[in-house]
This record gives sequence, C-alpha cells and structure tokens, in this order.
Amino acid sequence: MYRGIAFAVGAAALSLSTLCAAGPADYVYTPAVEYGEREIDFKAGRANTHDADQQSAASLGFGYGATQHWFTEFYAKYESSGSGAVHFDAWEWENKFQLTETGQYPVDAGFVVELERPQDHSEGYEVRFGPLLQTDLGKLQLNGNLLFERHYRASESGPMEFGYQWQAKYRWAQAFEFGLQGFGDVGPWDDWNPSEQQSHRFGPAVFGKIPVGVHKAIRYNAALLFKASSGAPDNTFRMQVEYEF
Amino acid sequence: MIIVYTLFAMRRLLIVLLLLPSLCLAADAEFRLSIRDHRFEPAELRVPAGKRIRLTIVNQDAAAEEFESYELHREKLIPGNSSGSVYIGPLEPGRYPFFGDFHPQTTTGVIVAE
Repeated sequence: MYRGIAFAVGAAALSLSTLCAAGPADYVYTPAVEYGEREIDFKAGRANTHDADQQSAASLGFGYGATQHWFTEFYAKYESSGSGAVHFDAWEWENKFQLTETGQYPVDAGFVVELERPQDHSEGYEVRFGPLLQTDLGKLQLNGNLLFERHYRASESGPMEFGYQWQAKYRWAQAFEFGLQGFGDVGPWDDWNPSEQQSHRFGPAVFGKIPVGVHKAIRYNAALLFKASSGAPDNTFRMQVEYEF
Repeated sequence: MIIVYTLFAMRRLLIVLLLLPSLCLAADAEFRLSIRDHRFEPAELRVPAGKRIRLTIVNQDAAAEEFESYELHREKLIPGNSSGSVYIGPLEPGRYPFFGDFHPQTTTGVIVAE
C-alpha cells in the first residue's frame, strides 16, 4: 500500500513538474501556525536563462499543525534540467515555529528550520534556518525572512550561505489577493559575493483561499519573478497550491 | 558552532525587538467571547475603535472550534473545553464579521468597532 501511495505521489509530482518551475522550495514563509490543520502541498517552479538550460523543480508534501506553535511538513522534491528527464532530488523536513501570538506585537515573529537529504549523498545534509517576520498595515500584509543555509557531511565543505525573501500582499478579497514577492541569495553570510554573482529577483504575485467545505479550503499563490541582478535567472515562474483540511 | 552563535544572537535581537514595542504601547483592552452549543456569546461584541484588543475565547463545547475572520485577518483553533486569546486591531470604526470554521451555519458573530 505504501509503495502505491509513494508511486502516486511521485507520479503526480513528475507530471505536474513538467508544467512548472525552479526552486519549488522558494516560497515565502509566513510565521503563523494553524493548530490542527493538515495540508497537502504542491509547489513547482521554472527558471529561464537565455544562455543556459531551463531549470524546473517541484515538490509534494504533507504538513500538520502539531501544536499551537509548531507546524511540521515532509516533502518529496523533484527536479529537471533542460530537456533532461525529471528525477527525484531530495527529501525535506520543514519545521516552523510561531514565536509570538499573531497581532500581539507590531511585528509577528516565527522561525523556520529545514533539513534536506539530497538523493546525491555526496551533498550531505542541507540545513536551512532563519527568522520569519510579518506585520499588517491595514489591508497590506508585509513579510520579510532571513535565511541561512549550509551543507553538512558533504564531500566538499562550503560556507554558510545567506538569503532573504519578502512579500507585500494587498488583501483585496479572500479568493484573490495581489502584490509583489522577492527572493535573493548573496553568497557566504559573512563574505558576500560580488554583486554580479548575487541573485536578486522580484515580481508580481497573486494569492487566494477558496473554501471547499467545512474546514476545507484550497490556498494558492504564484509569482512571476524577473532578474534584478546578473546572477539571477532571466525570469522565474513559481507557484504553490495547498489543500487544507 | 556557528549555528549556535547565530541562533543565540538572533534570539537576543528578537527579544529586544519584541520588548521594545511592548514597553511603548498602552495595555490592551480585554474582551471575552464564549462558544456554547456551537454559538458565540455574545454574537455581537462592541469594542473601542483605534485600540488593540485582546479577545479571550472560551470554548464551553466539547468539540473544537476555529475562530475565523478574513476581515480581522485571524484564524485560531480553540480546542474543546479550553480557551485561547486572539489579538486584533487597532480597528477602524466598522463591522467585522467572524465565524466558527467547524460550524459556520450557527457559529457566527460580528465585532463592532466604534
């Protein structure tokens, strides 16, 4: 039975990933945890660079709000490059901690810790962590996250890398919200790469939540990101769809 | 070791950031909302506009309920026979509907900021 479920999950991710994008993990984290909520989470992305192969990736995961302040999610990640076949890339375990009650302070805070085990074991284990911040200005929701990433037990040791994410979302209507998202990677956290090697990208984004039953909903967000530095892909499309129940 | 130092430094920074606003802001206005037989009591709650509100929700039912409001931008699960707090505002004068996501037909209410 488990093999059947694993096959179905893999097949779904494979088929959908051919439609979509690079860096499926590149979504903007938010600090709030919804206790008791379960979700099936699909993410995908595609990055295009004029003089390089197109990079695509996707992930399928299951998440659960285990306590009022801890949300945990397990992913299978897939990727492909150029015309190459889609292949399994990594397992990922994401843990998000809500550090403050939503709205109690001017800025809501959380913390994320991810552990990834790439299929290529020479990459060791990838750990990603950082603070998550959010504030509301009327109907405008602002998020800013700082992320640190490092590989452990890899065949080649590397420095801890630093990146960031941000979004500005106008809460126009529950089913359709809009705004901007941005992502960046600057290189080693204590010795940033030259600006031409850094990756900064941002662009328009849409969001929404559609109730589909009692305590059931589909939540989505997607963005089209454009390069803001020479180290970034020309454009990236990324999307996320969650079924919450 | 670097992770430990980084986490320690960020924790200190976070505590300072979080304490600063709490020292500057006035105390929250406190209100109470009950859930009984899958209904909010009171179903209409009047609160002062322009103030941050701490809303204590007491669920007297055995079943869990989720306080939800798109207008207030809040979702909070309240387990059965327990309570939880939701912070809202400062609100502009107006009406802000909310409902229970597990029993949306009966568990409804509105906050009136005035």
